[in-house]
Amino acid sequence: MFIEPLLMSDAHLSHIEKVKQASDALRGSISEGLADEITGSISEDDKALVKFHGMYLQDDRDRREERAEKKLERLYSFMIRLRLPGGFLTADQWLATQNIAGEHATGVIKITTRQTVQLHGLYKSHVKPTIQAFNQASLYSLATCGDINRNVIAAAHPRQSPIHQEIHDFSYKIDQLLLPKTKAYYEIWLDDEKIADKKDEEDPLYQDRYLPRKFKIAIAIPPNNDVDVFGNDLGLIAVIEKGKLQGYNISIGGGLSSTHGNPATYPRLGTVIGFVSGEENILKTIYEVVTIQRDYGNRSDRSLARLKYTVDKMGVDWFKTEIARRTGFVLEKERPFLFTERKDYYGWFQNSDSLWYYTPFIENGRVTDDEKVAMKTALYEIAETRKLNFRFTANQNVILADIQSEDKAAIEKILQKYNIEAYTQSISSIRRNSMACVALSTCPLAFAEAQRYLPSLLSKIEPLLDKYHLQQEDIILRMTGCPNGCARSYIAEIGFIGTSLGKYNLQLGGDHAGMRLNKVFKESLDEDAILQELDVLFAAFAKEKKAGESLGDFALRKQWV
Amino acid sequence: MNPEKKKQIRDFIDSLDKQEQIWANGYLEGLLQEGSPMPNLPAKPLGENKKITIAYGTESGNSKKIANLFASRAKQEGIHAKLVSLDQYRLADLPKEEYFLTVISTQGEGEPPASAKKFYDHIHQNGFKLPKLKYGVLALGDTSYPMFCKAGEDVDHQLGHLGGERIVDIQRCDVDFEQEASTWMNDVLQKLSGSKVDNLAPVKTTKKPGGKKIYQGEILTNINLNDRGSSKQTHHIEIGCEEVFYKPGDSLGLVPFNPTVTVEDIIALTGIDQERTFVHRNDTYTAYELLHKKLNIVYLPERVVAKYAVHVEQEIPAVKTGLLDLLKKYPVKDAAHFEVFLQQLEPTTPRLYSIASSLESLDGEVHLTVAKDAYTLEEELKYGLCSDHLCSLKAGDKIEFYIHHNDQFRLPQDDQDVIMIGPGTGIAPFRAFLSERESAGAAGRNWLFYGDQHFTTDFLYQTELQQWLESGVLSMLDVAFSRDQAEKIYVQHKIKSRANEFIQWLQNGAFLYVCGAKKMSEDVEKTILDLIEKSGAGLNPTAYLDELKSNGRYLKDVY
Repeated sequence: MFIEPLLMSDAHLSHIEKVKQASDALRGSISEGLADEITGSISEDDKALVKFHGMYLQDDRDRREERAEKKLERLYSFMIRLRLPGGFLTADQWLATQNIAGEHATGVIKITTRQTVQLHGLYKSHVKPTIQAFNQASLYSLATCGDINRNVIAAAHPRQSPIHQEIHDFSYKIDQLLLPKTKAYYEIWLDDEKIADKKDEEDPLYQDRYLPRKFKIAIAIPPNNDVDVFGNDLGLIAVIEKGKLQGYNISIGGGLSSTHGNPATYPRLGTVIGFVSGEENILKTIYEVVTIQRDYGNRSDRSLARLKYTVDKMGVDWFKTEIARRTGFVLEKERPFLFTERKDYYGWFQNSDSLWYYTPFIENGRVTDDEKVAMKTALYEIAETRKLNFRFTANQNVILADIQSEDKAAIEKILQKYNIEAYTQSISSIRRNSMACVALSTCPLAFAEAQRYLPSLLSKIEPLLDKYHLQQEDIILRMTGCPNGCARSYIAEIGFIGTSLGKYNLQLGGDHAGMRLNKVFKESLDEDAILQELDVLFAAFAKEKKAGESLGDFALRKQWV
Repeated sequence: MNPEKKKQIRDFIDSLDKQEQIWANGYLEGLLQEGSPMPNLPAKPLGENKKITIAYGTESGNSKKIANLFASRAKQEGIHAKLVSLDQYRLADLPKEEYFLTVISTQGEGEPPASAKKFYDHIHQNGFKLPKLKYGVLALGDTSYPMFCKAGEDVDHQLGHLGGERIVDIQRCDVDFEQEASTWMNDVLQKLSGSKVDNLAPVKTTKKPGGKKIYQGEILTNINLNDRGSSKQTHHIEIGCEEVFYKPGDSLGLVPFNPTVTVEDIIALTGIDQERTFVHRNDTYTAYELLHKKLNIVYLPERVVAKYAVHVEQEIPAVKTGLLDLLKKYPVKDAAHFEVFLQQLEPTTPRLYSIASSLESLDGEVHLTVAKDAYTLEEELKYGLCSDHLCSLKAGDKIEFYIHHNDQFRLPQDDQDVIMIGPGTGIAPFRAFLSERESAGAAGRNWLFYGDQHFTTDFLYQTELQQWLESGVLSMLDVAFSRDQAEKIYVQHKIKSRANEFIQWLQNGAFLYVCGAKKMSEDVEKTILDLIEKSGAGLNPTAYLDELKSNGRYLKDVY
């Protein structure tokens, strides 16, 4: 059955769709806006367009009232995010990033849940120098935000498979396949000459409309689902037999965002639709999933525009047929796979090539110096040895990676100097397995705190676990300041989703491997209520859990949700 | 009536403000009705061979007004009077002058107005003689300042020193100068014509005797406009006062009060009866009032320290010192001994702040933009007294102030274009200008150059300016933030980057205003001269700016 793509009349297109189409390949009036010295902001339409260049315009929400009284506009600044497929940086690139963060941003590097890093607090006049400095280090921000394929993530730790490198490299190939063709980024930020012939940037994939919404791709290597493959629009699950990559199971339609009070929106885990092998066919499949979303995704209501809604609207069978129609081949039946965990491997590990890896704990992915640990200074000093690479995980951590045996001692010495190993070991199991999004004060979507608040909440949850001798449990706990799920709180065993300042929905029942969504247990709880509920839950769990049973499984079995 | 006369009348009328015109109208009418003889030009031939020059140094326009009036009265006497502003005066002409009458005001700590600075410095060089010169000085001042009429006194003294012959004694005038000024004019004219001059009625205004009107205001709002992290602290202060009257361009004057702790310490230390009354500059005050509100006790200038040394018969180093410190180190004998010295103390210098609001848009309010002085050295600490006091006021606090009118800094007709250059607190009068022009719906275009250290923390009135830009009240807004990049960028650099448009606006008749620090105004002027030079229009830069000045199209309020 072939369904004609909806060719919507302009009247039904959302405003952003019109902005994209009229943007002259994402140029808009960004250059003019940069030159406007009267405001630290840019025009509304350009705000949508700079996302495609890797930035969000934000403002410090804590400062709005006070600045308004001072007759100053909002404290606008940009967040900029790098495109790092698979989350890889050389030591030199790490040093460059830290230097840029110090010179142009807040000095803090934020490791994201999508295996990349972002800098906050760049004033408008600093954006161009920042992008130019990144360019010097062969780093780019193009297409890390916006309605486009985002940073492709891949299983982080090389010890996950002897063929990790091969799989990791594939994330670059996907990335290149789905890059937009526009030269706007180079013209606006890097002062490249304006292209003479518009044909040079004709884009058969994105055309002039790009995608209806963001598009996320992840590659997982079972049994560790560290990338939360089912939370992505498109998931690739590596099938490895006898040490060889056979191909990938393909999952479509994952996505964790929803809108409070809008029942038409919901988090959804990806649906595995089959298996594909051979690089050419794998890439072809990926490409056509994107073109189908381009053609059939909802372009009038952005809250219903992710691939998951397209899949549910058209049906999984239709989708499989349409992929086959476009690729010219049918997907094979899915191969069996098993995920058992989602985690980062803290501490020292060796991979199959005898290279060494050390993962320190970085709370909420914020690389900074605080009263607990001088992580920023330590990582800088470690990078200066230039005897390692930096790999980011999808859980907001960094792996000090690819260290030769003879260099390990030098790195260890610095780790000891800054007490990093002891610090990491001292971190409770629940804190290690926790994540929070940025939220207040810069995220415009946030209803409640997340990364600024979670550390102190955990300090109150830890004694409860101790009380019931549950401190060794690997409980996955995540907090987001709104229902958009950036820190994937919908697939946590304990999820907190902000509803208003100081209030959170408490979600329970997610499994350990990220195969099951959690559900609302109680709505809009304040801290006291949260702690009371958890106290009761932990007491029951300690008393009634079966051997090896996770908290999420327990909550579901006992019908807490 | 011949065109020459007509023009003279026109010029004269233009020199009057509205109230004076009304008065002149009544005056003429009165003369005609009474049938009294009009002062008639040909009937007074006595002084016709005398050539006199009337030179004025003005800051707020009063000296100019008097000089104008004086010139027209001289002409009535048949005396050929050349009227010139001291900044336009060719210094080389001075030795050739026969009669040279100076009307000059005094600023701040006794210095001449900016427009008389060049002349003032010139006559203090002493390298020449003026044996031919016959002169007289009318000095304007304000008794609430310590160095009352100092600039006029200096000119009077120095012209004598250079060999000039004083034909009339110096006349010092307070803020209600009309009576004294008129008397002085009569004296001079009498000297020149050799006979008694009709004693014309004194210049009258509706002002009450006793000088400037003191208003009682209440603080409505006081906010620091600079954001956290700024090295500056600039307060936007809104003062409510029902009956206040001023025009954009005017300043608010006030005398900062001394800290009560210091006053009480002095009273305790000297044993003076705080209720005992004293006459100070024609008014009666208690000792407490004098010490708290009137006299400079915080940092005494060297000359007062010297007087104190004489008074207590001690050797005291000639440095600025607080009165309390002096009293502690070099005590007075008793209360009576102190009372004598009390009367040698100088009044606290009033501080002037450009008004940042317009009554047209907001009746009954005065807004100020006050930089809290953060200088550390002694002299600045004294200035800090006032800004510190203002910045610490809270909503509901009362404040006494007066309005310092400045006719030298007024908006032009509604249809004229205006270029305003006002970095830092220099923006204050332009906020008033823009409010006024917005309320009036003035058709003329407005272009503002603003600058400060940092965009994020120091963009004073940013949201208001953005709104004016959006609504079109501001046609153009150029900003320079000096410390946001490696190289310093100031307003003059922005002017330079807009060279063509800037010259076009001027050529189209735009009025040019500069407000703020003196150094900035000099840099800006250099840049503008340079732009005119390079404009390719074959203009002589200095002559061009001079013409703007004499047409009242280049106005400065700098400090």
